[in-house]
Amino acid sequence: MLTFVVRRLLLAVPVLLGVVFVVMLTIDLLPGDAVTLMLGEHATKDAVAVLREHLGLDKPFAVRYLDYVTRLARGDLGRSIQQNRPVARELADAWPATLQLTIAALLIAAGVGIVAGIVSAVWPNSVFDAIARLASLFGLSMPIFWTGLVLIVVFSLWLNWLPVGGAGSLSHLVLPAVTLALPSVAMVSRMTRSAVLDVLGEDYVRTARAKGVGEPWVLGKHALRNAFIPILTLLGLQSGQLMGGAVLTETVFAWPGLGRLMVKAIFARDYVLLQGAVLVFALAFVVINLLVDLSYGLLDPRVGRQG
Amino acid sequence: MRTLTIVRPTDPVSLDPNLETTAPGAWVYFNMLEGLLTLDEKMQVKPALATSYEVMSPTKVRFKLRPGVKFHDGTPFNAAAVKFTFDRALRGTPPARWASLAGSLDGAEVVDDLTVDVVTKEPYGPILRTLAMYCMGMVSPTAVQKMGADFSRAPVGTGPFKFVEWKTNTHVIIERNNDYWGDKALVDRVIFKVVPEEGARMIALQTGDADMVLFPSPAQLPALRKDSKFTVHETTGIRVVFAGLHAGLPPLDDVRVRQALLHAVDRKAILDNIMEGSAGPARGVLAPGVFGYKDMQLDRLYPFDKARAKALLGQAGWTPGPDGMMTKGGQRLSLSWLAARGRYPKDGEITEAIQAMFKEVGVEARVQVLEWAAVFQQVRANPLNHHMFTLGWVTSNADADYSLYALFHSKQVPPTGWNTSRYANARVDTLVEQARRSLNQTEREKLYAEVQDIIAKEMVWIPVYTTKEIVVTRAGVKGFQVHPVEYNLALWKTWLER
Repeated sequence: MLTFVVRRLLLAVPVLLGVVFVVMLTIDLLPGDAVTLMLGEHATKDAVAVLREHLGLDKPFAVRYLDYVTRLARGDLGRSIQQNRPVARELADAWPATLQLTIAALLIAAGVGIVAGIVSAVWPNSVFDAIARLASLFGLSMPIFWTGLVLIVVFSLWLNWLPVGGAGSLSHLVLPAVTLALPSVAMVSRMTRSAVLDVLGEDYVRTARAKGVGEPWVLGKHALRNAFIPILTLLGLQSGQLMGGAVLTETVFAWPGLGRLMVKAIFARDYVLLQGAVLVFALAFVVINLLVDLSYGLLDPRVGRQG
Repeated sequence: MRTLTIVRPTDPVSLDPNLETTAPGAWVYFNMLEGLLTLDEKMQVKPALATSYEVMSPTKVRFKLRPGVKFHDGTPFNAAAVKFTFDRALRGTPPARWASLAGSLDGAEVVDDLTVDVVTKEPYGPILRTLAMYCMGMVSPTAVQKMGADFSRAPVGTGPFKFVEWKTNTHVIIERNNDYWGDKALVDRVIFKVVPEEGARMIALQTGDADMVLFPSPAQLPALRKDSKFTVHETTGIRVVFAGLHAGLPPLDDVRVRQALLHAVDRKAILDNIMEGSAGPARGVLAPGVFGYKDMQLDRLYPFDKARAKALLGQAGWTPGPDGMMTKGGQRLSLSWLAARGRYPKDGEITEAIQAMFKEVGVEARVQVLEWAAVFQQVRANPLNHHMFTLGWVTSNADADYSLYALFHSKQVPPTGWNTSRYANARVDTLVEQARRSLNQTEREKLYAEVQDIIAKEMVWIPVYTTKEIVVTRAGVKGFQVHPVEYNLALWKTWLER
């Protein structure tokens, strides 16, 4: 078990190095550079040259990449180009907000999605199932920034129940978390429905029913436990989706998280800050995937642990 | 506690003018840091931390400082603080972000505790407006030394507000400085909240979550102007957006062709139908608030007149071909035009409108719409292989020198300066040089007037509009005045009606 975890974490190193490379290359290929953006269009040639040199932006790509990686190996994320502030501090300010938002959305997605999915599976083609199907289609198709604004208009402007945006209290969290969760609720409920239906059609469920096991017990003990493996895989994938969606949600709801930090870094062509933010996301992906893999073993003893 | 809540699209880069010259930071620090001079809403230079000045030599201006002023940390404000502020900005590695805006400013010399000489590298006429720029605020030397890099997140100045808290990407809070030397602020606190989404900013104003919106949604302004619950504060800004003409590239080297193009454009139609009240007319190459501005009387010199445009093209040897397009020696009158979309308000739309107006007089414009960074790169290149370009220009220090020198002096062709039109007139060169070196403001005004008279005859721009600065507040927000320079967001005279 431990060797499995260690091996997986070691495998993450080349992944992260690759991520750093791709991010750096992308920023390098984008038109516009950090210094011109900082000094403005009217800056003199000399002023631009001096600042570029000071920030080390005049060095070739390969040198900057190696510099960055060497510092990273020592645990130094560098200072943001635009603000001259340690990237580690910027990230420390922002990641709790994104974590909070993602977890809240994940809980909503799992809670609402799984319950709706089970109900749909137990009474397939019922009125509830039809409504759930329609709602899922809606949840999946609507872009986050649109749903977000509609929710703001309804719950903040008309009903005046919830704040427009910002962070601070639980009431601030409701709208962004719901907005972010909607597409995932749809995915999870659909997946739960088909997984549970699949299992309910299995021979061992028929056997269980035949030997007189009560329906709740059939569902809880036999069906759900087995249906959970695909659901869990999906939730793992969805948490990645949710972090990606956080970029938009955070913008609509003025939520002070990593997504906003990333957008800011891209607009400023601040590759050091962007690297930091992307690394946190990449690391989160690796850890979530690891957790999902580990939990397979807990749910299904047949899943081997040799990796 | 009376709190003024402001929503705006982005968090500051920094609250230290050394690191930030753009609006998100300037809006906040302008209320905490003060310079020697300031520009009032009528764009006149007014004393701030200096009480009077005297020109000692062409490169030296002596300032008497306001006595008894203290920084928010208790440090006394004096000549040494002025010297410290300029040394930190101009001799630091790297120099302050505003160093490029400050022209020949070289630093300050202490004469006595309350007298300081501001020195320039060469005679520099715009020095007063330079010192009155929003980013020239004095900083507390003790605070800078004690706080180091942290100073840029919690600056200490002498202004009517002092710093309280900055939560990244959430808000910045400032509060009234009760020991302020002048009229004290009328609200206790100001909260600057970040709301990136335009729609959400407008909703925050309507729900009462915000008292003031910066960068309001232009589409909602007509409705807001009619609504008694809100006040739309607006004034003409200092940016002129124009279609530039490359005077060095045939056929635009012929002044008659350029004049014909000016006659071909219905500027009023663009203002009414495309800008819809969100911009003012461009009366010349400078905005009205800028020192040295002269109304070029473009509507009298170049009224919209298709017949005159065609006649001028005829004089230049262009005749309509079978398809109505102007030709000369078998060549069509076809201009290549570089434009971005979204860099300036409605820049793409005005480019398309002018393109259509050109067609009416038989001139073809081949518009290439590129991303701003790509346009920027190309217009900064030498040589420039396009006839036209859509650009905007802000006279950052509000002094004509900043525009007339960098845009129209023949030696200021990119990459040195911004003479993208390749305009060359020996008399204009002499006049702008003379005006730059003179410290007699009346004389300078006369010189700039002559420059603008010459340029008006040889137009190398089609000025399209002057931007407006627009801020929307709840109707209960009183005493606020929007400034032509967007960075100068003065909040100390603002109060809230119950």
